[in-house]
Amino acid sequence: MKNYIDASLLDVLKGKFPTIEYDTEAKEPAVYVPADVLLAFMAFVKTNDKFLFDRLENVTAVDYKTYFEMVYHLFAWNQSPIDAEIERKNEYENMWLTVKVKIDNHDAPAVPSVTSVFPSAEYEEREVYDLMGITFTGHPDLRRILLADDFTGHPLRKDYKEIAPPYTPRVRREGGKIIYE
Amino acid sequence: MNEFETNEQPRTETYVLNMGPQHPSTHGVLRVELELDGERVIKVRPIMGYLHRGIEKLMESRTYFQCSPYTDRLDYISSMNNNYGYCKAVEELCGIEPPPRANYIRAICAELNRLSSHMVYIGSLANDVGAVTGMLYTFRDREDILDIFDLLCGARQTCNYIRIGGVAQDIPAGFDEKVRKFLDRVPDFLKEYSDLLESNEIFQIRLKDVSVMTAQEAMDCGMTGPNLRATGVPFDVRKVDGYGAYPDFDFDVPTGEHGDNWDRYEVRYKEMFESAKIIRQALDGMPEGDYMAKVPKMLRPPKGEVFSRTEGTRGELGFYIVSDGTNKPYRVHIRRPSFVSMQGLNPMCRGGLIGDAIAAFASIDPLMGEVDC
Repeated sequence: MKNYIDASLLDVLKGKFPTIEYDTEAKEPAVYVPADVLLAFMAFVKTNDKFLFDRLENVTAVDYKTYFEMVYHLFAWNQSPIDAEIERKNEYENMWLTVKVKIDNHDAPAVPSVTSVFPSAEYEEREVYDLMGITFTGHPDLRRILLADDFTGHPLRKDYKEIAPPYTPRVRREGGKIIYE
Repeated sequence: MNEFETNEQPRTETYVLNMGPQHPSTHGVLRVELELDGERVIKVRPIMGYLHRGIEKLMESRTYFQCSPYTDRLDYISSMNNNYGYCKAVEELCGIEPPPRANYIRAICAELNRLSSHMVYIGSLANDVGAVTGMLYTFRDREDILDIFDLLCGARQTCNYIRIGGVAQDIPAGFDEKVRKFLDRVPDFLKEYSDLLESNEIFQIRLKDVSVMTAQEAMDCGMTGPNLRATGVPFDVRKVDGYGAYPDFDFDVPTGEHGDNWDRYEVRYKEMFESAKIIRQALDGMPEGDYMAKVPKMLRPPKGEVFSRTEGTRGELGFYIVSDGTNKPYRVHIRRPSFVSMQGLNPMCRGGLIGDAIAAFASIDPLMGEVDC
């Protein structure tokens, strides 16, 4: 990823939210945020004038068999019209930030919805709910989006078993006889 | 005085009208629940999933090379752009650098496909607002682009020409002249479209000041691409990220002012000129050399993950790939621009008439193959 956030800025985040974790050795470390400070963290990086991550580019989740991970990709664009009142300088770079939330409870995963901070996450969170089965608390309209309402199971989970197709008898002819299988 | 003669207002209530999934103006199999008060739209609920094939799940059980043809089937009228997005993501994951010639060929393919996709857009928008002839003209000219793709890779729609590390084969003899001949015609037929459509009063009334979106609304709905640029925000991933060969080309990012249907149409119309400009520059500056980088036959990317985005024809197309070190991706997520843009339908149609809702669907250009994935 071009222009990943600087280590010095990550230190600022760590100072503000002591419970977040990231790998200081890695080149582009994802920031692991505990679920209880997720909303405060997102609101902070969106509005604080050091960060201004006002574009939530991607929301998704990954099933690691024993736990889930929510993944948010944030982007700060230096010509964003929303913060026009904040004087942006030319040397201000575009920035990327990857935020992750680890959900240890694999049986009933739940995470706060970020729609109150980033309204554009609504459909993407519904998609995650539909295909991965993660519940978003505080989501305005949490329903299945791609699959039918009466569908059971969440196909993108690694332990998902395909539903067997409905039984159709196979018929073949052997000599003069018709054989049903 | 009988019971009917009272001064009370008649009791009114809203009702729900189902539009689709077989409605001809819903661009495939989109179903929309319109909550109506008389003929005014109160709320729009898009209901998708009729074309859901589970491509993200299918990709988990295929090798990285086998995944590539699935991306053709996402946004099936701009398959080159999808191939480009996927291959770029895998290349970033493995650290493969495509040769410059491949980058130029890719830019030509992506821009040709953007032209053809916008032609379908103009044709179907004209069709949906009542100018059925528009479709005939745009599809006539789109045929030339499909012929170029046929010459290039043998396929017209699902090309699978852009591969991991480069492109499938070098450009064939006669490609250059054919594209240049086509480019010479671009201003002519674009003028023909504008003469046919833009000077038409009905077309103007159906589009101007209808379904207006502000920049803030569009960003809150996650809109990208031409839909966002129509509101005046010059966000174009080709400029912002400058991937591939795009930093070498000189092109503008057209933006609108009002964010109405007309601007969404106009932005795409102007973009077609810019695409033609890029193709011409790429043909002129085509570097010599390989068209394919060295890619191992058995591709095992290192453990890790990548999020990579390109400017698709409908907005920002992102691929998030998690690798566990084997030859198959552990998880693939595709950020489909049409899917996220569908959130804009409700703010666009609210308060308008049913007929304007049709124009609004057409003007944000959703493609159900991409929405449903």
